[in-house]
Amino acid sequence: MEIYVCIGSSCHLKGSYDIIQLMKEKIAECNLEDKVTLKATFCLGCCTDGVSIKVDDQIITGVSTENFDEIFKRYVLQEVEA
Amino acid sequence: MNSLTTEVGYVSLNKVGEQLCGDRVEMVEYEDSLTLVLADGLGSGVKANILSTLTSKIIATMMANGMPVEECVKTIANTLPVCSQRKVAYSTFSIIQVNNNQEATLIQFDNPMIILLRDGVHLDYPSTQQIIDGKKIAISTIKVQPGDLFVVMSDGALFAGIGLSFNYGWQRDNIIDYLEARYLPEMSAKMAATIIAEECDELYNHQPGDDTTVAAVRIRKRQTVNLMIGPPEHKEDDQKMLDLYFSQEGKRIVCGGTTSTMVGRYLNKPVITSLDYHDPKIPPTGTLEGVDLVTEGVITISRVLEYAQSYLSGEDLSADWNNRKDGASLIAQQLFETATDVNFFVGRAMNPAHQNPSLPINMAVKMRLIEELSQALRQMGKQVRVTYF
Repeated sequence: MEIYVCIGSSCHLKGSYDIIQLMKEKIAECNLEDKVTLKATFCLGCCTDGVSIKVDDQIITGVSTENFDEIFKRYVLQEVEA
Repeated sequence: MNSLTTEVGYVSLNKVGEQLCGDRVEMVEYEDSLTLVLADGLGSGVKANILSTLTSKIIATMMANGMPVEECVKTIANTLPVCSQRKVAYSTFSIIQVNNNQEATLIQFDNPMIILLRDGVHLDYPSTQQIIDGKKIAISTIKVQPGDLFVVMSDGALFAGIGLSFNYGWQRDNIIDYLEARYLPEMSAKMAATIIAEECDELYNHQPGDDTTVAAVRIRKRQTVNLMIGPPEHKEDDQKMLDLYFSQEGKRIVCGGTTSTMVGRYLNKPVITSLDYHDPKIPPTGTLEGVDLVTEGVITISRVLEYAQSYLSGEDLSADWNNRKDGASLIAQQLFETATDVNFFVGRAMNPAHQNPSLPINMAVKMRLIEELSQALRQMGKQVRVTYF
């Protein structure tokens, strides 16, 4: 699985840095390093509802530190385990 | 236009407690000649500032227009206001005039002798003495070579450290050794001036006992850096902008997410973005085959402008951006150090998501940033061209 975190201007201002840190922690915590590749990308084209991430081919917008755990569980953990 | 260019940079430190500097650097470019004058007015504060301003302005203007040095000196003597206490009108001056990037004329009166480094090594040059209006003036003519670095200082530089680090201050020989040790072939004029000024500031314990000015003139091979930011206002201009951008010689920087995607499509190569934050406030950089550097847009450029402004004002003597790896520092290194010529390719496409007034990244901000950055780069002695699409 590949996860891209948008680091374009808008998303950056909305907290890409924190999301990337959380991603790194979570991936390590769940021992997913060999299953998940984390990358950054410039602009997923959803600037108004950042932070945007892309999990394989699915774009998820509005990721924040508050809803991060929930999003990680739903789009990453469940997918990896499925 | 030949393949060489003459670059100028300088830094002034004010005597502790003074608002105005008694030293003054004036530069005039006229046709194929560049004239730099450093004047050090008698005393300090307002009086010294007026003397040195008049001296440098008059000499620079007259010299640039090809007047003989005798005329300049006489004009100064007849124009300067006489100090009521000391009954003299006095300002030292050093003139460096470079013609056609080929020949330099040095005219020196009472400032520390100009230092010349060739290939990073100190070189003594001959000079003849001439008495003009009772003033002993040293004149030298030097055939320049690419890489030549001339450094001119006010005597405040030599007094640095008196009684603190050195008994007799920092002598000219110490400055030469210091400069030789830190010389880099790609060093800009501004950087050469900055590293000496920084050391003077250190030696003075950040409380300069005298106005201290260091100016550098460097003969460089032209090096263009092309920076693109923003896609064109009209989509049909994409091709034109990209063709023009890639037809330029020199290094290439692309700023902005949408912009780099557009460039990647044009080159048919992927933009690979790094995950490494060298600075949490600056988005990571990217790579794209065919381009030297890819960064985010407005936030990164804002930081570059901050670096430029504090570097120019002399507040930032450490120039830390020269050793850091975040996007803004990397751009600063290219624009402030590597470049002698900078071409901006600015696209005016609106990103609707950026027009939110609460975000500091809207169109007006971007336009202002580019304008101010161009201005700052011109002050660093760069040739700047901005093209809008």
